Amino acid sequence: MTGPRNWLTTVLTRLVAGIAIVVPAALLLGASPAAAHPMPHSVVQLDVYRSSVSARLELPVSDFSRASGIDLEDITGKTVPAAQRKAVRAYLAAHIHPATTGGRAWQVGIGAMHLSATRQTSTGPYRELTVAAVLTPPAGADVRHFTFHYDVIVHQVVTHVTLVTVRQDWANGQVDGKGTTQVGTIELDIRHMKVPALKVDLGPGSAWRGLVAMVELGGNHILTGTDHLLFLLILLLPAPLAATGGRWTGLVGPRKALARIGGITLAFTAGHSVALAATALGRLQIPSWPVEAFIAASILVGAIHAIRPLFPGREAVVAGVFGLGHGMAFSFVLAEMHLSTGQLVTSLLGFNLGIELVQLLLVCLALPSLLVLARLRVQPVIRLTGAALTGVAALGWLVDRLGLPNPVARAADSAGSHTTLLLVILTLAAVTSTAWSLTARVRSAPQGGGLRPRWRAAPDRS
Amino acid sequence: MSKERTRLVRSRRTRRVVVGAATALVLVGGGFAVANAATAGSDKSAAGVQRPVDKQAKGTAAVVSAANAFLNTLTSDQQASTLLDFSQANATAWSNLPCGGTCRPGIQLSTLSDDQLAAAKALLKTALGTGKDTGYAHVLQTLKADDVLASAESTSSASAAPTDAPTATDSATPTDSASATATDSASAAPTDVPTGAPPSGGAGGGGGFSYGSGYYYLALLGTPSKTGTWQLHFGGHHLAVNITYKDGKVSGASPYFTGVEPTSWTADDGTTYAPLAKFRNGLLKLTGSLSTAQLAEAKLSESFSDVLLGPGKDGDFPETKEGIKVSELSPKQKKLVLAAIHPWIADVDDATAAQLMKTYAKELDQTYVAYSGGTGLDTQGDYVRIDGPGVWVEFVVQNGIVFQNQVHYHTVYRDHTRDYGNEFSFS
Repeated sequence: MTGPRNWLTTVLTRLVAGIAIVVPAALLLGASPAAAHPMPHSVVQLDVYRSSVSARLELPVSDFSRASGIDLEDITGKTVPAAQRKAVRAYLAAHIHPATTGGRAWQVGIGAMHLSATRQTSTGPYRELTVAAVLTPPAGADVRHFTFHYDVIVHQVVTHVTLVTVRQDWANGQVDGKGTTQVGTIELDIRHMKVPALKVDLGPGSAWRGLVAMVELGGNHILTGTDHLLFLLILLLPAPLAATGGRWTGLVGPRKALARIGGITLAFTAGHSVALAATALGRLQIPSWPVEAFIAASILVGAIHAIRPLFPGREAVVAGVFGLGHGMAFSFVLAEMHLSTGQLVTSLLGFNLGIELVQLLLVCLALPSLLVLARLRVQPVIRLTGAALTGVAALGWLVDRLGLPNPVARAADSAGSHTTLLLVILTLAAVTSTAWSLTARVRSAPQGGGLRPRWRAAPDRS
Repeated sequence: MSKERTRLVRSRRTRRVVVGAATALVLVGGGFAVANAATAGSDKSAAGVQRPVDKQAKGTAAVVSAANAFLNTLTSDQQASTLLDFSQANATAWSNLPCGGTCRPGIQLSTLSDDQLAAAKALLKTALGTGKDTGYAHVLQTLKADDVLASAESTSSASAAPTDAPTATDSATPTDSASATATDSASAAPTDVPTGAPPSGGAGGGGGFSYGSGYYYLALLGTPSKTGTWQLHFGGHHLAVNITYKDGKVSGASPYFTGVEPTSWTADDGTTYAPLAKFRNGLLKLTGSLSTAQLAEAKLSESFSDVLLGPGKDGDFPETKEGIKVSELSPKQKKLVLAAIHPWIADVDDATAAQLMKTYAKELDQTYVAYSGGTGLDTQGDYVRIDGPGVWVEFVVQNGIVFQNQVHYHTVYRDHTRDYGNEFSFS
């Protein structure tokens, strides 16, 4: 994650050669970690903000107890008893000293801590102490370059190694919370039997890199968030159909169908953008489950509408209203990042842009299939099957969000991880549909028979 | 008109498809033919070049001959993965971890045929010492220990522990096995080491690591010769043998990493193995001989959860030696120091080991003995170090990985000036 990845390139490459990416990526992921150490090591995982750095310390209990003299080895639960908690705080405060490159000390706050069981490559299972800390430079000092004087454990257990990694760094384009980049290793200089400080250099960082990363995050979010996509597609499914007498019958003609699809998409965009902006900028603390449940309900309503028209002609309004809920869900991603206001505004812009770009791409890809599908004789079967499947997924999600996890929800969620497959299928469908309608037109024009598109029978009157 | 254009387009498309298919066919077919030719070629050349073998040779010449005999059994593809450059990158690529071929070069033992494996073992037997429980015998025991781990992992019965702490207490005097003649091969009889990859469950302990005697790797860095510089590089989990030859002599028998888990076990035939017992007992005798005052002087303030100078720590010897200086010890204790380091030095062929022991004996008064944790060498963190102008030996007790209710050992022998024959500088 060194350069700002061009998001558009990523998507295009996925389209063209999804499989070609997967193979080397798997090989890269399979590569062994930098430090091959048989004993469990510590990890200091940094989240870099505009004016502070939060650190998550993962400390193997065995070496920690030996080094600090604070015995945590007999504790089996998650909680560190109050007496030891105080001692741990004092010990850590004595061994963590970030400073500006000019030597001015940063402030160190030690926060919550807990114990857990874990394992690293080749260590076997062991217990770990996890501690949250906040490192704050003096006012105006550079947060991206500092000298990390840190000798927790290693001041005593001299073979102990600490990996320093960055999980989130907005200004460096690292925003998805997945995976970390290694900043450096803190270990004994054996020749001099001293622990040198780690020079942390997080690069210059820029709002541009943050913006680009947010566009990418937005794009990925809608691509992998099956629920948002499903809601839009299920609303678009009956768009080319005419509703008469509480049933989907006949076609409305391509121009009208296109207008409907455009209207629904725009309304959905407007709805979720407004809600996203309002929730994020207002820093509203909305509990996630009602929003998630609302989204599941929106998909269910969409699925029913695809079977029998519930609100024919008013799809755009419905898309806009339900879009509000989807926008609130988008804002959760931003809320988790604890961004400064300036970063938040840029992020909002980039994130929404990414969402809209991918949404546009997907709608364009789905468009030919939607139009052609409506003209096929098997249209009702496909529509009803799609709607039923979507309805089942939505029900599964609804039940899950209301507190009852179930396999249907899990399966539906996992569908979102097959983005390459999804894109390939959509593209193939789009190409096939376009080719089919072209050949069908050409063939049917002179003879007036054969495989006739149905909308010639029900001519376009719009 | 549009019909005409479509037809044109269509016929053009068809042509393109035909051409594309034809190209693909040619490519695939061609690739196949080339691959076939390559395979056929390799088979031929394997039997082609025969390297000189002299069964009467002694010393380094015998090692060269055994190396050639081994190479002669290999196909050219196998030779290519065995015979590598004597580069710093290849020489320093060793690890104590069960990381198979991802962290060390060479040919994997489990890929060898019976004849090839026999030739590989003959080479090791020629290059390594003949002492009881040291040298070649010790290396084979280390491989056996890994088979114990593999079967423990595959049956997931890691809690059913083998026998506990080692009990053997044979006293290793500095002279006994170093003076053993090459004909004394009682302990060096090549026992049959299972070579196949362990059952699928054998890939152990998370991270896709693999246990078992099949996951050991033999490489020859540089071309074995009686005049040039080259290295025998052999290892796997808990084992790294690096013996460097220069102008017909051993110029370095280190770094030598040897560790073991489980520390002892009884095989199906009733034999009890404790590969590092001899090494540990020498240190126990030494520390046991120290008075309270001497112990206080030898005690290190730091704690250790592994050896300091493991893989990747080449040339990183501490500038200041710590512990008690051997010159302050009694003559009897000095002998115990030499006896304690001997099992590591006896890694290499007996004549070289005797030479090295002579050197280390001369340097004995400038050598230091230090320890951390307890002196029992039976608890996590117990640690002993012997650091001289040349010799560097570390022994550390760690918690078990596969047998979690036991401890296991890591040890390393290095030499301040002779690691890798002093062919590389580590600044």
